[in-house]
Amino acid sequence: MGYQFDFGFLLGSVDALLKGLKVTIELALAANIMGLVLGFFLCLMVMSRWSIIRWPAQLFIEFFRCTPALLQIVWFFYCIPMMVNVFIDPVLMGILALGLNLTAFNAEAYRAGVQAVPKEHLDACVALGLRPWQRTIFVVLPQALRSALPVLMTNGIGTLQQSALVAIVAVADLMYVAKSLATQEYRPLETYSVVALIYFALSLPVSRIANLIERRQDAAVLR
Amino acid sequence: MRPCYVEENNMSFDLSVVASYWLVLLKGLALTLALTSGCAVLGSLLGFVISLLRMSPSRLVKTLTTLYVEFFRGTPLLIQLFWVFFCFPVVFRLPVPPYLSVIISLTLYMAAITCETFRGALKSISGEQHDACIALGLTPQVKIVHVIFPQALLRAIPPLLSNIISLFKESALISSVGVADLMYVGQSISNATAQPLEFLTTVGIIYFAVAFPMTRLVGVVESRFLRRFAY
Repeated sequence: MGYQFDFGFLLGSVDALLKGLKVTIELALAANIMGLVLGFFLCLMVMSRWSIIRWPAQLFIEFFRCTPALLQIVWFFYCIPMMVNVFIDPVLMGILALGLNLTAFNAEAYRAGVQAVPKEHLDACVALGLRPWQRTIFVVLPQALRSALPVLMTNGIGTLQQSALVAIVAVADLMYVAKSLATQEYRPLETYSVVALIYFALSLPVSRIANLIERRQDAAVLR
Repeated sequence: MRPCYVEENNMSFDLSVVASYWLVLLKGLALTLALTSGCAVLGSLLGFVISLLRMSPSRLVKTLTTLYVEFFRGTPLLIQLFWVFFCFPVVFRLPVPPYLSVIISLTLYMAAITCETFRGALKSISGEQHDACIALGLTPQVKIVHVIFPQALLRAIPPLLSNIISLFKESALISSVGVADLMYVGQSISNATAQPLEFLTTVGIIYFAVAFPMTRLVGVVESRFLRRFAY
């Protein structure tokens, strides 16, 4: 006798799944915005002339890149409230942990982009009398963003997947809903399969677009 | 004995308590390292085979392998772990012990990310070399074994090392299915002693102490070793 599949019960839990999906998307989007903005500043810090700025930034990056994301999330949830003695909303805390993690990875991605900006452009900025902040925002950032875009998008999808980890500290995201559904209904097979497909459906289009952009950039370099 | 109602004591960062648990933490680290290295080897081999299959002329093989890679890279590892842990016993109708299920899912994950690495390395061999092989009249077999593979495999070393570092970090997830790795040990001690700050920080430092030298190694391999042999 084979296993009797039954996806029917999931129809009754569409609401719960959608709610979880909403939290997951919120987490991923907010963390991505944070990572994109802070990542650029962190990258500027790492490339700074003064070592007093460079070192802490480098340490931040290495620490977030060399420890498991799960550990970072658990650490944030247990230790931050203890250290500063305030209770922060779990979703906000999840965004903070995921966002800082992504910031470290994005800073590295931006760095390659910033280094790829031709030196002539910087000279031109001096010749045109642009201020340093104008140079950074109007000349360096757009070019760095453009060449780093595929990696930034890949990192963004990575964060969508890492966001499943907040389920372990009981934030009610898609993964958490899946976990509770699977135990409630004794049907882990159907639940996890469907939820895996949802994650897959979210990340596939973005990864396709990232691939496309990368290929176009490669083609542009060859031309 | 410390009275637990003294509020300020909560904040004290007392690393000396960690010392009495070092053996357990070490055991956890040993398991993490053993699983990571085992799955890294298995996953790299599987990934290599899949990267070759992905370039096969058969459309079916190509689609299936691409789907496999996209699926494992496009879903959270946590859900893959749960899926293998809960669903393999049901689907294949035989008991799968936790260790085995963890090894299976980490290997499949590693194979998926490694496949991309090998594919990138194989693609990085320039078109001129393929032309040169034809001009020299080399058979496809000779071309692949003696010209393409040696270069591609050398170039794949740095990203492969990065993949192993990712696998090492991701392996912390196996704690969620109850395998007593470093993360699991750290979390249980911090729950039992109610001192998460000390223990979680220590665990973080241990992970860092292993992963950081490895990231440096990637840089060294890239700058010294490869420059001499591959380019």
